[in-house]
Amino acid sequence: MPGMQLRREFLRQGGLGFGALALSDLLAAETKAAAAENPLAPRAPHQPGTSKSIIFLFMQGGPSQLETFDPKPVMTRFDGQLLPESLRDFDLAQINTADAKILAPQFSFDQYGQSGQEISSIFPHLAEHADKLAIIRSLHHELFIHGSAMIMTHSGTRLLGHPSIGSWVVYGLGCESDDLPAYIAMTDGIFRNGASMYSSGFLPAVYQGTDMRIEGAPIQNLQRQATISAREQRLILDRINTWNREHLRSRPGDSRLDARIANYELAFRMQGAAPELIDLSRETKRTRDLYGIEAGPADRFGKMCLMARRMVERGVRYIQLICGGWDAHGDCKGNHQAQGAKVDRPIAGLLADLKQRGLLESTQVVWVGEFGRTPIRQGSNGRDHHPYGFSAWMAGGGIVGGKTIGATDDFGFSAVEDKVHVNDLHATMLGLMGLDHERLTYLFEGRERRLTDVGGQNNLAARLVRA
Amino acid sequence: MLQVMRNAGLIVACLVATSMADEESPGYWAFERPTRPTPPQRAALRQAARVRNPIDQFVFHRLEAAGLASAPEAERGMLARRAYFDLLGLPPTPEQVDAFVADTSPRAWQELIDRLLDSKHYGERWGRHWLDVARYADSGGYETDIYYRNAWRYRDYVVKSFNDNMPYDQFVQEQIAGDEIWPDNLDLDPRRVYAVTDEKRKHLQARIATGLFTLGPRVHESGLDAKRLAYETLTDWVDTAASAFLGVTLGCARCHAHKFDPFTQEDYFAMQAIFASAREVEIPLWTSMEEADWRQSYPKVVAVQEARQAYQLFVGSPAGQKDTPGVAQRKQELLGAIGQAVLALPQRAAGQYAVDYVGLMHIPTATVLTREHPELIRPIHVLERGELAKPLVRAEPALPVSLAEATGTSPKLKVPFGGRRQFALWLTRADHPLTARVFVNRVWQWHFGRGIVATPNDFGNMGQPPTHPELLDWLASEFVEDGWNVKNLHRRIMNSAVYRQSSRFAEEVHLKMDPQNELLWRMDRRRLEAEALWDAVHFTAGTLNLAMGGRPVVPPLAADEIASLREKWHWVVSQDPAQHHRRGIYILVRRNFKFPMFEVFDTPVTSVSCPTRDVTTVAPQALWGLNNQSVFDQAVQLAARVVKEAGTETPAQIDRIWKVALGRGPTSEELAAARDLVERLSDKEATALPEFPEALRSLPPARAHALAKLCLAVFNLSEFAFVD
Repeated sequence: MPGMQLRREFLRQGGLGFGALALSDLLAAETKAAAAENPLAPRAPHQPGTSKSIIFLFMQGGPSQLETFDPKPVMTRFDGQLLPESLRDFDLAQINTADAKILAPQFSFDQYGQSGQEISSIFPHLAEHADKLAIIRSLHHELFIHGSAMIMTHSGTRLLGHPSIGSWVVYGLGCESDDLPAYIAMTDGIFRNGASMYSSGFLPAVYQGTDMRIEGAPIQNLQRQATISAREQRLILDRINTWNREHLRSRPGDSRLDARIANYELAFRMQGAAPELIDLSRETKRTRDLYGIEAGPADRFGKMCLMARRMVERGVRYIQLICGGWDAHGDCKGNHQAQGAKVDRPIAGLLADLKQRGLLESTQVVWVGEFGRTPIRQGSNGRDHHPYGFSAWMAGGGIVGGKTIGATDDFGFSAVEDKVHVNDLHATMLGLMGLDHERLTYLFEGRERRLTDVGGQNNLAARLVRA
Repeated sequence: MLQVMRNAGLIVACLVATSMADEESPGYWAFERPTRPTPPQRAALRQAARVRNPIDQFVFHRLEAAGLASAPEAERGMLARRAYFDLLGLPPTPEQVDAFVADTSPRAWQELIDRLLDSKHYGERWGRHWLDVARYADSGGYETDIYYRNAWRYRDYVVKSFNDNMPYDQFVQEQIAGDEIWPDNLDLDPRRVYAVTDEKRKHLQARIATGLFTLGPRVHESGLDAKRLAYETLTDWVDTAASAFLGVTLGCARCHAHKFDPFTQEDYFAMQAIFASAREVEIPLWTSMEEADWRQSYPKVVAVQEARQAYQLFVGSPAGQKDTPGVAQRKQELLGAIGQAVLALPQRAAGQYAVDYVGLMHIPTATVLTREHPELIRPIHVLERGELAKPLVRAEPALPVSLAEATGTSPKLKVPFGGRRQFALWLTRADHPLTARVFVNRVWQWHFGRGIVATPNDFGNMGQPPTHPELLDWLASEFVEDGWNVKNLHRRIMNSAVYRQSSRFAEEVHLKMDPQNELLWRMDRRRLEAEALWDAVHFTAGTLNLAMGGRPVVPPLAADEIASLREKWHWVVSQDPAQHHRRGIYILVRRNFKFPMFEVFDTPVTSVSCPTRDVTTVAPQALWGLNNQSVFDQAVQLAARVVKEAGTETPAQIDRIWKVALGRGPTSEELAAARDLVERLSDKEATALPEFPEALRSLPPARAHALAKLCLAVFNLSEFAFVD
């Protein structure tokens, strides 16, 4: 039963190897075990962390590093030429590298802020926050198919059935909110890969992300039946709770029955809290404008970003926002111009708003896709999937911005300097939360599983928080 | 269980047990054949009078040694409810409860168990348990989540096997090597006579059993690397076989020698080599065609298939070149031939009501294992750290060496074929140390909520030590001696006094000394699993469609339930509304999109074998109970049912609701509170809903609404969702 397994897990995480279990340790163990009674109770991290919550901006489809954060001006000279021999030994999804020709970067880059971070022209608003960003140019893994690569970016492995990072974070730290889920996922389109994007995998289902919609009923089964008024629902609920408490009275020593009663009350509160969360009508025009709401293409993602800020304020631990549409197999330029217009103002607005409310210091914002795109062209002006060297950035949550980490080779093909595997990125995100990726484990199929599997050695957390 | 144990004595005992296991290694208990233990002396037990069979002697002995007594026997009404849910996954009707309560014969309980084991719904309940272990799903997952159109044949095979009380050794053999052990199973060979003997039919069932290996998670996307796909498929096969039958998690040995168990990397890849000579194939099912009277249309269907194949073969050959005029013309001819063949199909096959075009194109098939062409068998290598790019040495089919030695068998297996057969027969030897123990432990877990070994897929050193090792071995020995008879195993367990204990029992001393009830001083209360809850809601409302088997059914979803699904065509609602109320086991299982109610109530992750379901208690479960459309619809149906059965008077209606939903009448306080609630929910303005069934219309609309809402409240009671 999960209660027991959890209890055991918390014991293990407390460093209580069973052989070492001494009577004096029992008190500490008790505290942990109490947490196991309520698997969502807030818990202390392994060590003090600099951030309390994460906003994960997932750019689905794979944005090109060459059109975003990894300038390669030298490539312009080689536009249309064959790729150097030395770079042809790669597996790509759809292109045969033997006759692959280079496609020059499609946008100009400028330097921004005191740090002089280089950012492409598709992100004019985000560029104003250059000094807040730590740009990683050497992200990599080895999967060039959307499905497996998305599973990798979310759960650190190629295989289905593993928990997503948000589930690990909530498993490690619990939930701070009394009336909202700890882990919320939203998309501007549809979840590709289904629930694996926010799944708790082999962790207990309490750590599953809740997919929330930005219009209509935000959560499944949140709306009362039309024929049941609010007054009637309260009557019904009170009656259910009274009967359930009577049921419990004659059945001592069963905490699930207690938890069940508490959950009916929580469900009732969620009916109010969740619609309030996504109701942006109380936000000022100025705030809405900041996020690009009602400004054409930025409207939808702008709303999502503003909701994300509201979630952070209400104690939601992990927020996943998905922006689809980056899969630029043809017309990379047109695609990225349009995609930039969708997310630039919303993300810039989010950073500015979090900052002005004093929330940025404790909120990590992470921008990443499942992979980058090929330096070589597909068709006449597209780019194929490319996982061997691509870009991401992190901001907030204690990070001292204005940094660039790692580099790809001259053609943006492979990460060559200070390589950061997706496992390393995950280790870094956990690290900033005060979670040690090697100690955050769960016994599954006979093995202590971790988000980072056997990787995560290049944990950037310590570096990122230093000036 | 490494739980927090407040009692120092227990901790010491447990530490001793752990260190003993270490000392004895490699003669680790689970890898040594069990010897049949003698049950502790009955006469020496303080509770001797309560002993019903040897299980009680083992359990009472340990309890009494710890100074604890066991719980009194549960009330008869509760026992009936427990037995029905446990064996059928369905609640008893009030009449069934009354009959059992009134039956004072000392054989009443045994007869009830016998009756339930004879029910065809038993196979649905226990088959569903096995499907967890089999990581059953109807689709492949990953991005495309491709639909497996034949997975359900394996599901139906499992249900039938439990119902037929197939001996477990045969059940294992059929799934691993049904094709190799019973080779005369080719269902359809157009060159031969279409006579299907009974024996052949049986063999065909054995072959469908190998479908177990064809319904795992699978990547189906562009840019696939065939070698990697083959490797990942084999990984799924071996991990599933090891978890399900050996009760050992071998996954770790893929990358390194198993740290705590005597499994080496060589053992692991030798297992892969056993399965490397198999491949997946779809076989046509003459028997199914015969059932649907396909005799007449069959040759024409084959003609279509052949025309399509001819076309595919032709266009499949030269790649990337522009068609010459000759090639283009040939293509047109072949396409034309397909068209002709399709036009020749009968509009309606004899005896079939409106067979649609797609139905005609699809000959009934099963997806099963077959032998790979010898020259296509991939060589298997031991891989450094399990990485495909780092082969070390060639691996040959072999049994795990240390386990083979424990049974005095040579680990070497036949090549290229016959390895699966040998593996299956070795697994089901009477002296195999794991197979019987693993299965009786699973059955024990499904009866009690926790196994004697709490990690049923991991009998290795990383798993939990058994709470009652002698009991486990005794059950395993009895089971094998009894011809691997599964229904008798249920009888043995359920006829014990331990099983008949009350769950409504706890004294401070019990909760303090053994808070997790590892010593079985009471029966643990259990929440209904997702499917059982779904079935119970519909059964209570009188709407459950008890039809068995067939393709997965797809109930409708509310807009907010289906919103997160990208490919709406992955959830095509069954056209026939009668299918919407089938038992939960028959609802489509998509790896990427679980039926939302099942998701909320903890159905397993289908990526790997699931030995034990989570039982979480979360707010979305309450939201489902309070607000979901299907629950509300069933509340309306239940209200109509009680009007029909109990008339128009509120007290009689309430009495009936309690009896059908909870298996007991209401107390006087409950009756008064329920009447009061109905009163307060009676909105004078209310009008009848269009979906109100006829019976409900005999009440004033205000009463009809109120009664339905009371029914909704009852569906939300802990007592409804838990079995004492």
